[in-house]
Amino acid sequence: MSNTDVVAEVRAGTKRYPGVTALSDVDFAVRRGEVRALLGKNGAGKSTLIKVLSGAEHLDSGEALVRGTSLAGLGTRDVAALGVATVYQELSLVPEMTVAENLFLGAWPRSRGALDLRRMRAGAKEAMARIGVDIDVDSPVGALGSAGQQLVEIARAVAQRPTLLILDEPTSSLAAAEVRQVIDVVRTVAEQGVAVIYVSHRMDEIRQVADTATVVRDGRIVETLPVRTASTHEIVAMMLGTAPEAVAARTRRPSAEPPVLSARALVSDRLNGLDIDVRPGEILGIAGVLGSGRTETLRALVGLDRPASGEIRLRGEAVRPGAFAAMLARGLGMTPENRRREGIVPLMGVDENIVISDLRKVSRSGVLDRRAIRQAARALIDRLAIKTARPGTPIGTLSGGNQQKAVLARWLHAGSDVLLLDEPTRGVDVEAKRQIYDQMRLLADDGRAVVFVSSEVEELADVCDRIVVLRGGRAVAELSGDEIELNRVMALAIAEE
Amino acid sequence: MSTTTPTGPPAAKADARGGRLGRNTQRLNEIGLIGAIVVLFVVLSATAPGFLSVTNQLAILRDAATIGVVAWAMTLVIVAGEIDISIGPAVAFSSVLLAKATGEWHIPFALAVLVCLAVGLLLGAGAGFLRARWGIPSFVATLGLWSALRGLAQYMTDGLPVPLDANGFLDVLAGSILGIPTPAIIMAVVFVVFLFVANRTAYGRSVFAVGGNAEAARLAGINVSRIRVILFATTGLLAAVSGLLLAARLGSGNGGASVGLEFDVIAAVVIGGTSLAGGKGSLLGTLLGVAFITVIGNGLVLLGVNAFFQDVVRGVIIVGAVLINVLLSKRNGARSA
Repeated sequence: MSNTDVVAEVRAGTKRYPGVTALSDVDFAVRRGEVRALLGKNGAGKSTLIKVLSGAEHLDSGEALVRGTSLAGLGTRDVAALGVATVYQELSLVPEMTVAENLFLGAWPRSRGALDLRRMRAGAKEAMARIGVDIDVDSPVGALGSAGQQLVEIARAVAQRPTLLILDEPTSSLAAAEVRQVIDVVRTVAEQGVAVIYVSHRMDEIRQVADTATVVRDGRIVETLPVRTASTHEIVAMMLGTAPEAVAARTRRPSAEPPVLSARALVSDRLNGLDIDVRPGEILGIAGVLGSGRTETLRALVGLDRPASGEIRLRGEAVRPGAFAAMLARGLGMTPENRRREGIVPLMGVDENIVISDLRKVSRSGVLDRRAIRQAARALIDRLAIKTARPGTPIGTLSGGNQQKAVLARWLHAGSDVLLLDEPTRGVDVEAKRQIYDQMRLLADDGRAVVFVSSEVEELADVCDRIVVLRGGRAVAELSGDEIELNRVMALAIAEE
Repeated sequence: MSTTTPTGPPAAKADARGGRLGRNTQRLNEIGLIGAIVVLFVVLSATAPGFLSVTNQLAILRDAATIGVVAWAMTLVIVAGEIDISIGPAVAFSSVLLAKATGEWHIPFALAVLVCLAVGLLLGAGAGFLRARWGIPSFVATLGLWSALRGLAQYMTDGLPVPLDANGFLDVLAGSILGIPTPAIIMAVVFVVFLFVANRTAYGRSVFAVGGNAEAARLAGINVSRIRVILFATTGLLAAVSGLLLAARLGSGNGGASVGLEFDVIAAVVIGGTSLAGGKGSLLGTLLGVAFITVIGNGLVLLGVNAFFQDVVRGVIIVGAVLINVLLSKRNGARSA
């Protein structure tokens, strides 16, 4: 591999923000056809590195080069013209417009002032073919689902014929099964000679997609290593900067108590005769591939959806299905899968986002008591180690992990003893993940029932006392205690589609 | 490599920056408005004869009440991400209802007042219910009210004012208490109530939560539908109160009155820094917005500007004020990013 293969590089790059050195003397290079994973906790410097290479930020010292051209003084448009295309975490598509229209957004082919629809469709088909994906270019993007939308986003970037494609967590909002499609596309693109930088928190997918991984910590590059030979423990240790032994130490304690919440033969759009028992004092994992009914199960249990038939019992008593407010009042709490859309009120303070679940607790004769709010919020902020400057800081400015902890804190404030957590670790950095696991354990030890839905089987196998595997809207298996093994859970979830 | 700083504190610092700036934008807007009002006062006292006179200042207070009484409630409606454009017709309808009830229908005066208030409340609640239960956009629901109430008020009166018999209560409403115009006192009382409700009650905070993210609010256990019904019931009720004040001032029920009032009210709220996108706003800002609009209106009259052209000037000034506000928050936003 000669040096002429290097598409983009950073030499002795340093970037400082007020109070923090985001990159410190970093040397980094990617070659054509290579998929390079970028690993590290949030705040480790991954985003800064990406921003430097896409021209959104400039180095304080050192040099950033794309195809031999220094990026000093260039803007994002200039850098894009050099062949750098970036796909950010947030999708930037117009859901109501078709795939073809989105692919050419703002640069629609025209002839004599009118849109040239035929040329646009042909171009769109070619773009989809280039990434090896078969998506109807005439269907509205909104109808595609998250994975399809992500692929359109990538197709749009690839259509510019980049030499460097940067993907910032392209799969964070996708379920495990959908990730496969993105990985295939990335491999296809790399085989065409494009250098790819791939940011992700998911080890399993990095192993499938990347050739090499660069681990970043505290603004420095810890190591660049071939992913196939490195063990997950090794890499996690590099990211965390701690010894591997400190990473995992788990005890499983399936509860023997009678269920606090149970459902029998639930039937709805996505549920097909579901039975489930939720017991106090344990973490119950719900595993299953996308569409197996994980979220629907939680929504039915908490009363957000009303199943067509079936029975739900809370502490032995039959409850009216679909009575959400009543279920909350009787001690249930749910944190939704889509934190930004359904979880947080971004402009409100962390404190108010927490106490919102029960404002009566912080009121005196109908009037909110500011001191009570502050105390209640402060206690939970400390307990969950939520990193925020002040309790009143707008929650929208916090990192994903801290937002998630605040949404969980909401139900601790309400005193809920049955906690239904839908993908609580999605898009959350390694450190916050660990803290969330620890909290779930503490809550279970405290005698509460914790239901943990995740599309990452590894973490379910790691933290749960009992796991129910869903397939096609039914519980097809239950594993408890030492029966829980990663391979087994995985196999059960993906067996016979 | 081992001496690097932990990643926690820098993140926390970034948070502090974003938070303080967000609040600063609101503060800046309020300071800017105060500045603008001061400038208006200085300019008008130099150019408009009689602007600083006690009579004129009291007249400004009285005019402010026309917008202000409803503007407080409107602030919460807009914070919740909704809009109520039925205000002008609702005020006129309420004045007609009072005149008809006390005159033609021989309903005792006190009862007629209660009927007016109750009808206003129920009409508003009805619009809120359409929004909450069936998801009809509040613009459309209140557009329906806007058209229907204006039409009904004109139809009931054949387009003519309906005289009201004078009585002590109306005299007080139209007059002054200790030298201060009664409408201004009502406006002040309602302002204090709303300031308290917005910041210190579960309902008020829930309004902000619903405006900031309705789905998150619902999942957190807030009864979003109830909040929405109450919001419009409040604007309906306060529009009815405004209607009573109007009837007292004119001595009649007038189906053609208060044309365009809803836009003055909305303009005052938006100038005050409340976001039409919801989730963000302040009553103090609205208070300044009301003052700003009222002083301009008063000044234009005193300066003898042509009545039609006054509308042009106001339109330009209102958009200009909001533009400045937007530019301010843009600049702050850019700096915090």
